[in-house]
Amino acid sequence: MSAEDSNPAATPTPCVDIQGDGRWISMHNRFVSDSKDKEPDVLFVGDSLVQLMHEFGIWRQLFSPLHCLNFGVGGDATQHVLWRLTNGELDNISPKVVVLWVGTNNHGHTAEQICGGIMAIIQVIKNKLPNAHTLVLGLLPRGKMPNPLRERNANVNKLVQDALTSLPHASFLDVDPGFVLSDGSISHQDMYDYLHLTPHGYKAVCEPLHAHVKSMLDKPTDN
Amino acid sequence: MSGDEANPAAEALPVEDVHGDGRWLSQHARFVLECKDGEPDVLFVGDSMVQLMQQQEVWRELFSPLHAFNFGIGGDTTCNVLWRLQNGELENIRPKVVVLWVGTNNHEHTAEQVAGGILAIAQLLTNRLPKAKIVVLGLLPRGERPNPLREKNAAVNGLLRAWLPRLGQAQLLDVGGDFVHSDGTISTMDMFDFLHLTSAGYRSISKPLSDLLLQVLDEMPEERRASLA
Ligand SMILES: [Ca+2]
Repeated sequence: MSAEDSNPAATPTPCVDIQGDGRWISMHNRFVSDSKDKEPDVLFVGDSLVQLMHEFGIWRQLFSPLHCLNFGVGGDATQHVLWRLTNGELDNISPKVVVLWVGTNNHGHTAEQICGGIMAIIQVIKNKLPNAHTLVLGLLPRGKMPNPLRERNANVNKLVQDALTSLPHASFLDVDPGFVLSDGSISHQDMYDYLHLTPHGYKAVCEPLHAHVKSMLDKPTDN
Repeated sequence: MSGDEANPAAEALPVEDVHGDGRWLSQHARFVLECKDGEPDVLFVGDSMVQLMQQQEVWRELFSPLHAFNFGIGGDTTCNVLWRLQNGELENIRPKVVVLWVGTNNHEHTAEQVAGGILAIAQLLTNRLPKAKIVVLGLLPRGERPNPLREKNAAVNGLLRAWLPRLGQAQLLDVGGDFVHSDGTISTMDMFDFLHLTSAGYRSISKPLSDLLLQVLDEMPEERRASLA
């Protein structure tokens, strides 16, 4: 697809170290070296929503027992995850399931471009890990009140869900338990800054996610 | 141009809503509202280092029992905290202690400017809450390996150590001592992204902080405690 060449969300891009402490590449290097002596059945990859999941009790409780690795980096957009996965993070492991959660940080990109970025990531995973199934998590609503980014994220979800129905090696999972309340607001009890999840918010997301991933591991996938 | 007014880190600025979901202002508005309903004895204010602390077990264990409010917002600089405190986050409350932790996000500013920005916030707190103690937490080292931002944060701490005592009620608490290992690295066991603290990292800084807060609250003269009750 030649359109992908001009899609910034689907063009592998490393994060520029504008702050000068090299943290992004340090994290990538750590993931690559971590993957050399681990044999995960499940790989989580994405942005801060993936990364912070690892910092709460829910990770040890639900996901560590499934032999999961967490390659989440705060602030990452699809093009950054694409770069990381094409530069070593998948080279030493063979997980059965890859959980992908990224796109809410793609500021300045359209829903179509973000969907293209997610599809490009799925393709890289398919090339590197032909036997793995990719589970794409839907982007969550954000902001205390209705706003354009909520609409954009909802559009990304529709596009990705449609695109994945025909792909045998990937599927979509909506993990929003209903964070938007009847008055249109999101509670800080669920998202402390109206973007990132509290332990309470993670519990609502992770319990069904855990059940879904576990069922994927328990029965052989049909890819 | 002369003196503090020329310091861009001491200029009160709201965060521009570049992403379009209004999250920063929503958080500020929530904090202002909390001031109307609650009477905190301790106020935490700052950036993500403060904000994420509230998501940890240690917050409920050590700080909630002290009647603490948490006004941390991820990404905030000294300018943003200054703006928030000047625009409602100190209305209606009279905390006995304010814990201030901000400055590591001031990427456009020199160490002198950052320290000046923190001093300006401490000055504002002293003016608005003349009876309160102010605990400024030292900036932590960051990055997996030695880098210019570590040096800058250390320089900020050095300046604060010299400047804060002039305010009388303010003091620096440097909690970053154990994070850099002998080979110069910081571990992801302490800082998961070489900036933000893990639960283990929070645990190690929270003990000395909690001890200090208990000591400060305990040393408050009886009549002051009575007048604030
Ligand atoms: Ca499918």
